[in-house]
Amino acid sequence: MKNTRVAKRYARALIELAEKSQVEKWGAELEKLAAIVDSPELESRLASPELSLASRQEAMAKIAEKLDLSFPLRSFAVVVARHGRIDEVSAIAEAYRDLVDEMLGRERATLTFAVQPTAEETERVVAGLEAIARKKIIPTIKVDKELLGGVVAELGGKTYDGSLAARVAEARLKLAGHA
Amino acid sequence: MKRSILSAALAIAAFFPSAAMAAEEAEGHGSWLTLSFFVINFILFAFVLVYFAGPPLRKFFGDRASNIHANLAKSEEALREAEQLARAAAERIAGLEQEVAGLRQDLESETKFQVNRVLELARANSERIRRDTQATATALADNAQRRVRENLAAVAARLARDLISRHLEAADQRRLIEGFMDKLGQEARR
Repeated sequence: MKNTRVAKRYARALIELAEKSQVEKWGAELEKLAAIVDSPELESRLASPELSLASRQEAMAKIAEKLDLSFPLRSFAVVVARHGRIDEVSAIAEAYRDLVDEMLGRERATLTFAVQPTAEETERVVAGLEAIARKKIIPTIKVDKELLGGVVAELGGKTYDGSLAARVAEARLKLAGHA
Repeated sequence: MKRSILSAALAIAAFFPSAAMAAEEAEGHGSWLTLSFFVINFILFAFVLVYFAGPPLRKFFGDRASNIHANLAKSEEALREAEQLARAAAERIAGLEQEVAGLRQDLESETKFQVNRVLELARANSERIRRDTQATATALADNAQRRVRENLAAVAARLARDLISRHLEAADQRRLIEGFMDKLGQEARR
């Protein structure tokens, strides 16, 4: 989900409450909460107009308790429900994660490999990206056979394409006389 | 004066017939009196005729003469004009050959000009058609070539993908990652 202004406001409020040592823990808890709230069966029930505000708050409090979230996160879940922003939890988690990354001087990158990479391969690529961003990189690893071979990295809105699929596409364009 | 003469004449004419008739009855055949009566009667008749009919007749004949003179003048004028026209026609007839020759020459030069113009237009049109046809043919050929190239490229790409997906090995993947690392290194040095 895209970071909305509302989500950013909630995320900023939460991060301002957290100690520096807690931000990552709270982030992980928020991700857990978002994952549960976003599950199809819960999402439809929580969004149902038949559910009263009090019931919604109660449901969120129970979910937070079951997830064994820390006290501030339980309160946060209830506050979100009280303000009718349950459908924004995922966006809040995302916005929170971006803020934490910014605070800790790190950046996220998506690495897509053609075949399952070894740990060493992942580390090397991450190191390469860190050299470019001059920040710590938190990678998200994906595997896509359509790449045929090589790897594609997405970092800060920029794509570094080292896949064979891209080379084949380029060769095809050249052969067709378009390049 | 005229009135008195007229009155006398009328009185005599009224009186003498009876006298004349009486004389005839007395003497039987013609006499000087009868003759003089007829003479005087004729003179009176002629006088009356001249006196009354003369001026209108003079005027009529005078007018008639004027008309005739005017008609004569018009006829003379018309004759002069006709002669002039005849002279002009004769001159024209004399120059007709030359005019016909000039016209023929004009016609020939005009025909030549028109023929050349038509030829020029036809040449320009044929050149344009040739150019258009050439451009169309070139465009069609280019299009066909492009499509053939695109099809070939698509087939080649498909074959390449098939081959790569079947034969890619771990070493190839390592080599590709090495290449990618070089690319990242270059990017980092910028």
